[in-house]
Amino acid sequence: MDLGTVTQMRDARRREQWRPGDAYLGGGTYLFSEPQPHIRRLVDLGSMGWEPLEVTPDGLVIAATCTVAQLNRFTAPPGWQACHPLIEQCCRSFLASFKIWNMATVGGNICNALPAGPMISLTAALEGEATLLALDGGVRRLPVAEFVTGNGRKVLREGELLRSVTLPTYALRSRTAFRQGSLHRLGRSAALVIGRHDPADGSFTLTVTASTPRPVRLWFPLPPAAAQLRAALEQAVPPGAWFDDIYGLPEWRRHLTLRFAEEIRAELTTAPVAPGEE
Amino acid sequence: MRVTFTVNGREQEADDVWEGESLLYVLRERMGLPGSKNACEQGECGSCTVRLDDVPVCSCLVAAGQVQGREVVTVEGLADQARERGGRATDGTTLDQAKGWQAKPHGAQAAQPGQLAPIQQAFIDAGAVQCGFCTPGLLVAADELLERNSSPTDADIREALSGNLCRCTGYEKILDAVRLAAARQDEVV
Repeated sequence: MDLGTVTQMRDARRREQWRPGDAYLGGGTYLFSEPQPHIRRLVDLGSMGWEPLEVTPDGLVIAATCTVAQLNRFTAPPGWQACHPLIEQCCRSFLASFKIWNMATVGGNICNALPAGPMISLTAALEGEATLLALDGGVRRLPVAEFVTGNGRKVLREGELLRSVTLPTYALRSRTAFRQGSLHRLGRSAALVIGRHDPADGSFTLTVTASTPRPVRLWFPLPPAAAQLRAALEQAVPPGAWFDDIYGLPEWRRHLTLRFAEEIRAELTTAPVAPGEE
Repeated sequence: MRVTFTVNGREQEADDVWEGESLLYVLRERMGLPGSKNACEQGECGSCTVRLDDVPVCSCLVAAGQVQGREVVTVEGLADQARERGGRATDGTTLDQAKGWQAKPHGAQAAQPGQLAPIQQAFIDAGAVQCGFCTPGLLVAADELLERNSSPTDADIREALSGNLCRCTGYEKILDAVRLAAARQDEVV
């Protein structure tokens, strides 16, 4: 929809002083999908020219302006077993058609900081580290799981922007399992749980999103027993901490999350099926 | 601000575009291309679907400034695009063609008014148009599908049209139309 209160559009490369009513424009699919009466000026990231996806010795660097479609098309180097099918599973967890993927950006979804943001789920589960740029050129880095602090809340300071997310190689080499549930098929996620089993050190990580206001991560040096995992989850998300909105009651989200967590634990603690043995 | 971009093969300039304007508004109100429809305005119904640098997008969610220097194809350009890629542009209703006739610009290769892209003709032949409001978006989405996949399965068709809502037809005739266009495409090859 048209944003009638917007009176200026600026090139983000100019790094002008941040003003009340400013908003960064990435893909625009969220900004233009509902009224934004508080926005006066759009700071367009489209001209930044950031490489969408870079494979480096440290892992995969995803620019904030990388579109969901570009990420979904990513061809992973050999050994990065976490990429497929996890990337596509998370892309398909959007409450949106593939047409939206062509404009929507990874950074935009993360910065919206919604509990059901599937790019948050993906990057938090794969140990993503966010790189933030301040207007004065300052850089800071922190885990995506800590970037989102609540429903719609994140740690960005005034004028600061998300430049990229780096997924480390060790996480990309992990085995993953994915579960997602919603009130109806292809609906907004009520619970999205991802497990990661690191073949190098044997550790097991569970990342819970959508059913909690912010990502919840549980790390175990070795895959836990069912009771241990359940107890850890109950402790990490006490009663009253489950997310509550029209897309699912807290009790139901808790039920889904506990069930998915156990399914993931069972899946990742059985030997992987070799190609051709299915 | 001024936005310069290519629409249906022709470079266009839109002046006095305000900064919060959507591509959909520019197309409908400034370019005189009302084929793309304004309905949900939040990217769910797909009736505003156009192609931006070849990929389908919801034009209601695209800022006008984001299309600077880029290429847009709307439903009005489907017949020309079909001609350019070697498909047949088929004859439409004779009466409409006569009513819409106008002299072609010198050297123009555009499809004549009334000429349709194969997907448009298939929609007519299959009875896939009811009230017609969603049809332009469906046509753009279906045309894009058939361009990249000449023999789509039913699952492919459903996926391609998953972001386009129709409240009249129940979709069966629309699926028939895309199957028909795909079959005719195979015949041409």
